[in-house]
Formats: sequence, C-alpha cells, structure tokens
Amino acid sequence: MMIDLMSGSLVTSRLAIVSGKGGVGKTTVAAALALAAAGDGKRVLLVEVEQREGLAPLFGKPHLGYEEKPLAPNITGLSVVPDEALVEYLYLFYGIRYVGRVLKGSKAVEFATNIAPGLRDILLIGKLKEAERRRVQGRYAFDLIVLDAPPTGRLPRFLEAPRSVVELVHSGPIRQQAQGVLDMVFDPKRCQTILVTLPEDMPVRETAEAVETLGKMGVAVGPIVVNSVYPDLFPAPALKTFAKDPQALLAADAARAGVQLESPALSELSRIVGAHARRTLNQHRSMRELEHDTGLATLTLPFLFAPRAPKALVGLLAQALKDQGAVG
Amino acid sequence: MTELAELISDRHILVCVGPGGVGKTTTAAALALRAADEGRRTIVCTIDPARRLAQSLGIDALDNSPKRLEARGAKPRAGKGELWGMMLDMKTTFDEMILDMTSRDRAERIFSNPFYQHISSTLSGTQEYMAMEKLWELHEEGRWELIVLDTPPTRSALDFLDAPKKVTDFLEGRFLRMLLWPYLMAGKTYLKAVNFGAKTFLKVATRITGSELLADVANFFLAFEGMYDEFKERSKRVHDLLAARRTGFVVVSSPQEASLREARYFVQRLDSEKMPLGGVVLNRTHAVPTVTGLEDPRALAARARSAGDGEILGPALELYASWREISLREDDAVKAALGDMKQVPVWRVPDLADEVHDVASLRRVAEELLGALPSRAGVARPVPAEPKESEN
Repeated sequence: MMIDLMSGSLVTSRLAIVSGKGGVGKTTVAAALALAAAGDGKRVLLVEVEQREGLAPLFGKPHLGYEEKPLAPNITGLSVVPDEALVEYLYLFYGIRYVGRVLKGSKAVEFATNIAPGLRDILLIGKLKEAERRRVQGRYAFDLIVLDAPPTGRLPRFLEAPRSVVELVHSGPIRQQAQGVLDMVFDPKRCQTILVTLPEDMPVRETAEAVETLGKMGVAVGPIVVNSVYPDLFPAPALKTFAKDPQALLAADAARAGVQLESPALSELSRIVGAHARRTLNQHRSMRELEHDTGLATLTLPFLFAPRAPKALVGLLAQALKDQGAVG
Repeated sequence: MTELAELISDRHILVCVGPGGVGKTTTAAALALRAADEGRRTIVCTIDPARRLAQSLGIDALDNSPKRLEARGAKPRAGKGELWGMMLDMKTTFDEMILDMTSRDRAERIFSNPFYQHISSTLSGTQEYMAMEKLWELHEEGRWELIVLDTPPTRSALDFLDAPKKVTDFLEGRFLRMLLWPYLMAGKTYLKAVNFGAKTFLKVATRITGSELLADVANFFLAFEGMYDEFKERSKRVHDLLAARRTGFVVVSSPQEASLREARYFVQRLDSEKMPLGGVVLNRTHAVPTVTGLEDPRALAARARSAGDGEILGPALELYASWREISLREDDAVKAALGDMKQVPVWRVPDLADEVHDVASLRRVAEELLGALPSRAGVARPVPAEPKESEN
C-alpha cells in the first residue's frame, strides 16, 4: 500500500528531481530540501550523479561514494557512478558477481555506457528506481529521495534515456528495466521535477520553456524554487524613480535625517540604489511572468548578502523552504 | 600585459571558455559586436544562446551557417565592420565533417546507422569537438577577420581541450573493436581466439542489450575503418590553430569562488598547453570604491534611522555597506584564485542589474569591459547613460 507521507506539502512525490540552469544553486537547494524533510522526521536519500562532489561538502563531510552514507540525521547520501551501478545491476538481476568484477577493472563499462547512449543514464535512474522501491520491514526505506540532477538543458535526455533504450533494444531484460524506470519517471505520484531558477528574465524564460517541455513529455513538475531573491528595501511606489535616478530623493532624505553627504558619496549611493531598484523591478516582473507562464507554485529563497558557512547556509535555506510548506 | 582592446583589434580568433551560467555567450556577443563596431568583419559562433538574446540579435532563426546580423541596432558603427552570427548545430557539423572526409556512399552508410544517430548527439565531448571543427571551417573560409567562438558550458575546464582526443579515441575504438571482433568477423567462429575479458564482455553485453545493437555498433566501427588518421590529422590542425599567436582565449567567470576555481584551472591548463591566454573576464562584479563620507555606512544608517526619517537613506546606506563587503570578498576571491599568476589580465563587468538581452545592453557590456582597467585598479565606473541608438 502506498502511504502518502508527503501529503499537505508542495513536494508530493517520493522522488524529487532537482534541476535548473547552470549556476542557479541547484545543489544547495537539493541539500536544503533534503534537510527540510529530514528535520520533519522523514528518512531522506540525497543523491548526486556525474561525480559532481558537491553535496557532501555542504554537510561538512568528505566526498560521497557509491555506498550510502549518513550525511546528517535522517539524511543518507549517495553518489551514483555508472560502473558501480552496472556491477550492482548485473548482480541483482543476473546473479553475476564475477563478471561484474572483471568489467569494473577494465574500461569496458566506460565503453559500454558510451556505445549504448543512454545506458549510463538508465543505470543512474535505474539506481534511483531501486531506492524508490526499496522496502525495509514492510515499508519504504525512504520517505523522500532528492536527486541533484543534471542541468535543465540535459534533463529531458536524462529522463528520456530509458525510452531510447526501449527503442534501440528490442528484447532482453534491459528493455524491461528501462520500461520500469519509465513507469516511475512518468508517474506524477512517484516522481516530480523541482526546477530551480533565479528571479531574472533569462532564467525565468528558460524555466518556463523547461516546464513546457517536461509537461509535453508527461513528467510532473512540482513547485518552482526561485533562488537568490533580493529583499525589497524601498517602498514600491518609489522604485521607478529610483531605477532612473534616486539622487534627488536620497539627498532630500539625508537632509531630513540630518546626515551630511558630499556629492561623491551621494552619487555612489545613487548608483547602488539605482541598481537595486532596477533589480527589484526586474524581479517583480520575472516573478509575475514565472507565475503566469507556468501556473505553478513558487518557493522563494533569499539572496544572502553575508556569506555563511555551508552548513549554516543549507540550514537557513531549509528553514525557508519549510516555512513555505515545501515539505511537511 | 594584454589589453582587451588589443585582442579585439588584432586577433583572428577569440575563444570564450568557462563554466556554465557565467555569461559566456553574452561576453562573446559583446566582444564580437565591439570588434564589428571597430570596423572588423566579425563572426560570433554561439552554442546555445538564451532565446531573447538570440532574438534581439536576429539569430534565433540561425542554422549552422553564417548569417549577417542586421537586427535593430546590430549594424556596426564603423562603416566597413560586419557582424555575422551562427548557432552551432552539433549533428549537422558532424554530418558535414564526415561528408568531407569520405565518399558519399560511405557517409550515407554511416548516417543511416542508428548507432551513429545516437552517438552524434549524445556522446560526451562531441559538442566541444564540433565547436572546434566549426572553428577550423570558419578559419578556412578566409573571409573573417575575427572569429569569436562561444563554447559549451564545460563541467570542468579540462573538458574543452580534451574533447577532440576523447571523441577520436572513441571513434578509433581500439578497445571496442577488440571486444566486437567476433561481430566484425561476422559469422565466423573466432570466439575461441578472443581473450577472456572480451568474451565475458560480449556475453554480458549481448545479454543486456540484445544482439541487434551490437551489430549496429560493429557496423558503425566498420564504416569508420581507415578514417582514424584523418580524425587525428584534423584534431591536430585545430590544436595548432588554437595555439596560434593570433588566437586568444578569454576565460569567463563570475567573481564567486567556485567559478574562479574553474577559471584558475583553465588558465593553468592553457599555460601548460602553450595556448595563448588573452585574459579573464569577470562578469557581474560588485566593485565598490571607498568614498569619503561613507567610511562607516552602518553607523550612518543607524543615525539616519534613529532620526525618525531616513526611510530611504537608511536602507540605502545598509545596501552600500553590504555591497562594499561583497566587493571586498570578491577581491579576496580573485586574489586567492589568480593572484599568484603572473601576466593574467582581469577585466570586470560590474553588475548593472540590467538584463543583457538587446544590442544596446551588449554595447554597454563592451563599454564596461574595454574601459575597465586590469584588475588591480578596482575602480568602479559609473553606470553609463542609456546609449542613444542611431537608427539604421
């Protein structure tokens, strides 16, 4: 029986695939999402692919390996490596142990995963499926699996990989395996993509395009995480004036407050206030466009002026996600 | 120390490299536009430009062949300058390369192989390799004074330079051919002679994938037989072109640590390969100068707020303080990543909080870049006023 442990939260599937354009903070968001759920008592598996080695440092741990290792209370970390996945696959499905070892030592896996494009991806997603279905003492081993996935540009291909195998390979067990993975990826109850973006024109457009592409493919898209949102510092009605030239208003305000400012100081302040006002306006517009174009719920994470140690950063963002009902 | 102006005016090839999300395409487009504005016949070869930037340049409908950019404002300022653009299509480039290398018949045989169809769009390194192949082609055309090449976002700096070798090694497929020998010898009973590893591999591979795929793969490599030398030859000449004196690599980075670390690797790698580094472009920096009267902005902000007024001044001063701190951190990060390297010019583009998606804003980026001094000066330049478009 499927128990929906995530009910009431915005993330509704057991597998959450976190993706986004390069440089938007995907990895940090994936970690924060995992931490938010773990703080709620859920057992979370946090997974990275392509040996990015980005997750463990966020928890102050050395690099992850193919063995599942605790990263934080309730969080298990895993780095899925294709050849390890293949060896495990061969063992699980064929009981082949020795062959696996021979393969691992040679460059065969590298070549095998190259000759059957998508085989690499299918092994990676296949491993996710195994974790998603894994049961311990009559219940699912993990309440939530968070994948720090390849960037949005490569995501459709990554998710579709099993399909190309199904097309390319007409028989054999890998076809069945591929089909099983497809069943998971395209079941909104089991798998959701969480796209991370920035509140800027281009990332938002690309996100909207990705939502459309994924939608057409039939992959469920969950809430969108908007990262690095700058705070609204100035009253909304003044923003347009500020965006053009805030100097006069700044000078007047300084005079009222009795603060003396020379003109170089005023013009430097104006430059920065102007940039912030323009950014704020852009942000507002981008957020409106994002909501309009995708119709999806958004979760926002603040831009942080002051640096934080990785663990503190992830903790802070996890709290922000929790406060907005990402998990719960 | 190289000046960016010198790169723009004298070099024949500029290659923009760097991790994803740091504004590589924008930088490439801005540099190309500036060169055209200065009167050079320039082409920018982009990989995957953001749609709006592409639209504004008129390259959204671009295919794999050069097209003159005459969109709003894209017409170069100087009379004889020309700005052309193209968008790399990996598969078409691959097809064209094969057509160039072999007979029509054989090429068709390769194209129709299902395995080739997958390989030409999914094998890692192919995009980088094709970008280089395209570069050679453009160079050979002989009509471009300057070619600006945008590159795919590499996960690691090393991927770009290693791509041709990786792909050609794969196509040479020494190892695979050994493994697939029985298939290449179709129907004969050579399995006995095949070593144990290969036999095992075959057994497993057949079991997993079924035999059709393996046959396709075997045919694929058969079709490529004899072409490896040419592949190598081609890689070598592109390598030589990249190492040529009139080429310049522009490493694009953000001022954040992770991105700077990649930039550092790239600079080191270029050095060890004897490839000509032009310099490092840092996008969206927060260079904030110290200004008399703003030495202690937070105290000033507190004063403004306690005066009961200062609703604007208070947050403005706090914002300035934050920017200043970010600016100092960025300086530290740049120093940590590149400080010990001699002769690495660093050019900064301040974060203008403007979206760069039209020709006017590209020109503004170029102005920031070419006016900016090499890193140490760290002097912020005021935001230039909206440039007036001379309508064509």
